[in-house]
Amino acid sequence: MKKKKKAIEIRGFLHLDKAFRKKYGAPPFYYNLESTITGLELAKILEVNPKEIEVIFVNGFVQSLDYQIHPGDRVAFLPPGCPGPYRVALGFYGKNQGSKSNFTLDE
Amino acid sequence: MNKFIRVNMTSLEVKADGIPEKYKGLGGRALTSAFVYDEVKPTCHALGKNNKLIFAPGLLSGTSAPNSGRISVGAKSPLTGTIKESNSGGSFSQKMARMGIKALVIEGMPTDDKYYVINIKMDSITIDEAPLEILNGIGNYKAIEVLNAKYGEKIGIALAGPAGEHRLPAANISFKDPEGNIRSAGRGGLGAVMGSKKVKAIVIDDTGSKPVPIADPDKFRAASKVFAQALMSHPVSGEGLAAYGTNVLVNIINEAGGFPSYNFTTGRIEHNDNISGETLNAVITERGGEGKVSHGCHPGCIIRCSQWYPNEKGKYITSGFEYETIWGLGADAGIENFDDIAYIDRAMDDVGVDSIEIAVAIATAMEGGLLPWGDGKAALNAVKEIAVPTHLGRLIGGGTSVVGKVCGLFRTPVVKDQGIPAYDPRAIKGIGLTYATSTMGADHTFGYCISGNILKIGADLDPLKKEGQIEYARAMQIGTAAVDTTGMCLFVYFGIADSPEGYQALIDMINAQYGLSLTSEDVDKLGENVLKTEIAFNKAAGFTNVHNCLPEFFEYEPLPPHNVVWDFTQEEIDKVQDF
Repeated sequence: MKKKKKAIEIRGFLHLDKAFRKKYGAPPFYYNLESTITGLELAKILEVNPKEIEVIFVNGFVQSLDYQIHPGDRVAFLPPGCPGPYRVALGFYGKNQGSKSNFTLDE
Repeated sequence: MNKFIRVNMTSLEVKADGIPEKYKGLGGRALTSAFVYDEVKPTCHALGKNNKLIFAPGLLSGTSAPNSGRISVGAKSPLTGTIKESNSGGSFSQKMARMGIKALVIEGMPTDDKYYVINIKMDSITIDEAPLEILNGIGNYKAIEVLNAKYGEKIGIALAGPAGEHRLPAANISFKDPEGNIRSAGRGGLGAVMGSKKVKAIVIDDTGSKPVPIADPDKFRAASKVFAQALMSHPVSGEGLAAYGTNVLVNIINEAGGFPSYNFTTGRIEHNDNISGETLNAVITERGGEGKVSHGCHPGCIIRCSQWYPNEKGKYITSGFEYETIWGLGADAGIENFDDIAYIDRAMDDVGVDSIEIAVAIATAMEGGLLPWGDGKAALNAVKEIAVPTHLGRLIGGGTSVVGKVCGLFRTPVVKDQGIPAYDPRAIKGIGLTYATSTMGADHTFGYCISGNILKIGADLDPLKKEGQIEYARAMQIGTAAVDTTGMCLFVYFGIADSPEGYQALIDMINAQYGLSLTSEDVDKLGENVLKTEIAFNKAAGFTNVHNCLPEFFEYEPLPPHNVVWDFTQEEIDKVQDF
């Protein structure tokens, strides 16, 4: 599928890859956006439970779920499960503190 | 553990002594690095008679502690010329610990051309002539079969593969895993050191051994339970790694634009879906047969990040199919076919080479015109030629730096002659500081763990900016050096980084085993001492802070898609190890 000017380009990682593939075909898929929207609002539209998202990527940068997504952006949803010190190096710990997925150790 | 074994390959004599007092509180990397510092002449040739090779289980190896089965191997590296510790899974470490062996040292070298097998049992250690069926280019898979038949199916095995026999700088030491497949102490060419001493294999039979003594069994059991809970309740170690392996990182690092591709000329590829962890899971599940989505590399592993990758007929090709290998072949060398990558991974295990070094060397060879870009079949043949070895096989087995020099390239991604792994330092700057300052050449596992409050270190990090990166790299290096002494797999990091109880449980297990009362400050101090020892060895070997740098091209070639360069000054880099 070709990307239209106002469309956002979407991917899902870990188990969301399989879920999105089943609904929308091989990644990426596109969603037409007229105005800005938060990651959380986009997750609701795509019927993804916020508990399944640790952070999102927007245009190659790790962001929290309340980050504003604009028409034309490249977005990826990342569930909890990214290993490595890259969790720190890519900035997860500044962005995942408000996430409902963060973490289940004390529950 | 009460035995310190020395095998002299010059005189073919074995000595089993008590443990020197200064090594009693050490294990794993802390022990191998202290020993190399104490006994190896820093300016010696790594393949000469004055180098020594040491194998050491970690402080917790052989116990019931989850994920404690790593074996550390140390020596001066023929690849980097620095000190080296490389570690591996398999059953070797646990068998050594149960037999009470704190360390096994191989020193000297024979004057004849024979290869030997060191045969370790509870009541004897012999040096046998190696059977001809495992020599002269015979692969590791066949060698394990032959040694199992000769010495018993339950033995642990450490092997110098064909690359080790040829003393190539990228040769690893291969270890038999619980199913008779292969794990590796991959980096730094320690297989060449083993080959130089004419030791083809070490076999270890722990029949008759007793459980590792625990000073306070109740306290140990309680701490072990908390530790296991911290690992299993964390989404990374409890779910993500078991389902997708380390290769889950393909999509993530690619999305972050830090996925070095086509010999480090771009940070993102379009064919990531061909080689991702999600695709790996789907292919293994769909093919069935001998395929396994999740598998442990040593008894007691509860994270199970390994897998068995089968071919289209469901027949096993390879296991421990790691992100860095798949990145190196799939992105850096541009090989888009997953099966091609799997067969190359198997061939690398079979000839006994570091799969990161060889993958980066192959990509460099492609840039240099020795191999066609993205050609999986040509790359497979080149790896198989290492066993012969042909001229091309020797070049590739020489590692990335050798290939870059022979091809006349300035874009040769190495630090201290070791190939840079799968995270581009321009787009993930903290990793770059660790590559630059590692005492062992470019190595992502040199700065992998953290002991303190992760939010203090990591909450404000921006991967493209300098702020906080020096403190991040320093904390990661100290934490990693400490965890590397325990025999723990580095993937316990997730459970200890996000759970203070998990980190305390790790310390409590050590205290309960040895009757100690270490604090987290003591453990940090241990990590610092390991690093200081390694830095001191390297200084005596001729390395200065000027060697702590990345290749120059990172400073002037911007990396798409973020179009960033490496911009740390030498003065800033030097602050990482200012402790």
